[in-house]
Amino acid sequence: MTASVTGCSIDQDEEAIVIIGSGAGGGTLAHELTSKGIPVVVLEAGPYLAHDDYVNNEWESFNQMAWLDPRTTSGSWRIARDFPNLPAWLVKAVGGTTTHWSGATPRFKAHEFKTRSVYGRVEGANLLDWPIGIEDLAPYYDRAEKAMGSTHVHGRPPLPANNNYKVFANGAEKVGYKFYATGPYATNAEEYDGRPASIQDGFNFQGDKNKSKWSILVREMPRAEKTGLLDLRPRSQAVQVTHDAEGRADAVLYLDKDGNLHRQAAKLVCLAGNSIETPRLLLLSGTPRFPDGLANSSGQVGRNYMRHLTGTVWGYFDKPVRMYRGETMAGVISDESTHDPDRGFAGGYYMETISLGPAFMAAFVEPGAWGPDFTSLLDSYTNSAGMWIVGEDMPQETNRVTLNTNAKDENGLPVPNVHYDDHPNDIAMREHAYAAGEKVYQAVGAQGTHRTAPYPSTHNLGTARMSERPEDGVVDKWGRTHDVPNLFISDGSVFTTGAAANPTLTIVALAIRQAEYIADQLKTQQI
Amino acid sequence: MVFPAKYPSLNAMEMTEEARQTLIRVVRVAFPHECVPDGPYERTADKILTEAQNETWFRVALTQGLLSLNQLAGGDFQDLDDEAALRVLRRVEGTEFFGFVRRTTVLNLYDDDEVWAALGYEGASFDQGGYINRGFNDLDWLPDPRIDYPEGEQLPEIAPGALDVPSPAVESGGGEDSTNQPGATSSDMEEVKK
Repeated sequence: MTASVTGCSIDQDEEAIVIIGSGAGGGTLAHELTSKGIPVVVLEAGPYLAHDDYVNNEWESFNQMAWLDPRTTSGSWRIARDFPNLPAWLVKAVGGTTTHWSGATPRFKAHEFKTRSVYGRVEGANLLDWPIGIEDLAPYYDRAEKAMGSTHVHGRPPLPANNNYKVFANGAEKVGYKFYATGPYATNAEEYDGRPASIQDGFNFQGDKNKSKWSILVREMPRAEKTGLLDLRPRSQAVQVTHDAEGRADAVLYLDKDGNLHRQAAKLVCLAGNSIETPRLLLLSGTPRFPDGLANSSGQVGRNYMRHLTGTVWGYFDKPVRMYRGETMAGVISDESTHDPDRGFAGGYYMETISLGPAFMAAFVEPGAWGPDFTSLLDSYTNSAGMWIVGEDMPQETNRVTLNTNAKDENGLPVPNVHYDDHPNDIAMREHAYAAGEKVYQAVGAQGTHRTAPYPSTHNLGTARMSERPEDGVVDKWGRTHDVPNLFISDGSVFTTGAAANPTLTIVALAIRQAEYIADQLKTQQI
Repeated sequence: MVFPAKYPSLNAMEMTEEARQTLIRVVRVAFPHECVPDGPYERTADKILTEAQNETWFRVALTQGLLSLNQLAGGDFQDLDDEAALRVLRRVEGTEFFGFVRRTTVLNLYDDDEVWAALGYEGASFDQGGYINRGFNDLDWLPDPRIDYPEGEQLPEIAPGALDVPSPAVESGGGEDSTNQPGATSSDMEEVKK
């Protein structure tokens, strides 16, 4: 008896294809495989929230959607001081973090698959070329963009300019940037694929009640369910992937909502728990045969944790902006996303519009601050414009997810610890980006600006990276682990390097590609 | 100030009205907004008191903190003007007491309809049809910018000249190098002596 919430229920003793996690990677994989006639079991740690459940209130929504299970942090990043138990801001619910993502869908650039070759040796950085290139992924980018309804491509019209964008784009023009626009964003400017046009309600981060924004919840899950081949089990937290005497994955152990342990037999396991839970699960699955954790002969599981550069610049004007009206993110400046070492760092970054309500603004604009300097930032709320910077951070072996055996979750399992130090390249790029953002706002008359430190990470990458050689990483070019032939990783953990682009589009493209490979391998009985 | 708790037993503690008024003043001085009326400050102080009732350690910290404020004020903290009160708060900034007050205030004062209205934020919008017809693009002090990329132009992915300088990895064919801890594969730098 399983806890499937769909019409389809697969026996626990039947060797199933088990997907752990239902976000951008796992949800896409479930949809692709079921649409090819392959039944799957999806274990999702969070509940099945519907669009009607979402609330237009930042803290209430946060407590409803966010992954709040205890985690710990270490390292010199400010998160370890300001939000020591919240290294990442992710969603724990069916659809995963796609339900609160902003929607930006830039592609990787060709050289961003080959950073080791193009950037050269960067001291302290664990750079490695991906085993695939843009030519491998291009057709899947097309498919992902069409599935997600990315604006500006494949005939999808751009979103209109909202207030925040008007300030951002005018500033961009004045400082001489050319490549700015309102997208690409996976939010509908007009009705598309059964989803309505945006009503510009401004609550992307709180789930999108209007269903205009693409998410796994609005598109892939219902379609997978319709095939009758999806056994979806919410509130099922995977705790171990077990293996047989040959070293092949043979089952997944998971806890149901009441804390009871279950075993789902598996012929193939795909991990898509995001870059903290995925390595945690591999590390929790260590055995005498895999003493350092499952699929960890390289020692790279949990390492090279990347979170993107990030930072926010606020501009304060003498006239109203009302940035909170309209899509939270609907503006991109790409000019700085190029690789130009003359700026003093490798890689590039995007600037993207962002808005927070007063509740989150107070919590994140300057964590720990108080007094008149702090309150003046909020007094300027109506006249504020905001942009987020997102750029490539360097993979470092010492930035890693480990098990913290001194802290336990409610089930007695060691919690993940996330250690992060900025690389000098990250610091140089962030400084450059802050200054560039300030110039944009100053160009249109900002009376003041403020730099906000990175938020708890929304882009979590690299902890089970893809590599040509087994000694350099965890998975091969298909996302199949080098060590365990029927174990795949299907989320952003596989990113060899992070690129400047927001990662969701690439995660979806990789998952579509991986689904084809898995289907083919199953058909030819090579798995 | 008399002892902030009404009863000597810490476990049965209920704060005196004087303590509550002091706390309201603390929140107002630490988070001053001329535009915000008294209501939200009072609600925030009451929230702090509720939290303190639920956690023994907060209660201890709060009691100690309120007493300290009066000691540092050389009398009644409530008698100090804004500037002097702010100075006293800066002196307790690093205490458990102030950290508790600050955190609780940041989380609650700004999650309040009245504060939102004062700051010019309109709150929930979906039930009113979003802002599509209610001013999502009503900013009129700047020209309407273009929303599409310039036609027929491509952003150069790599700056001109960036690849003119050969890097060690490029010379050695990139992936050939030991990748986990890449070394300086083509460095021929000798020690320089004079």
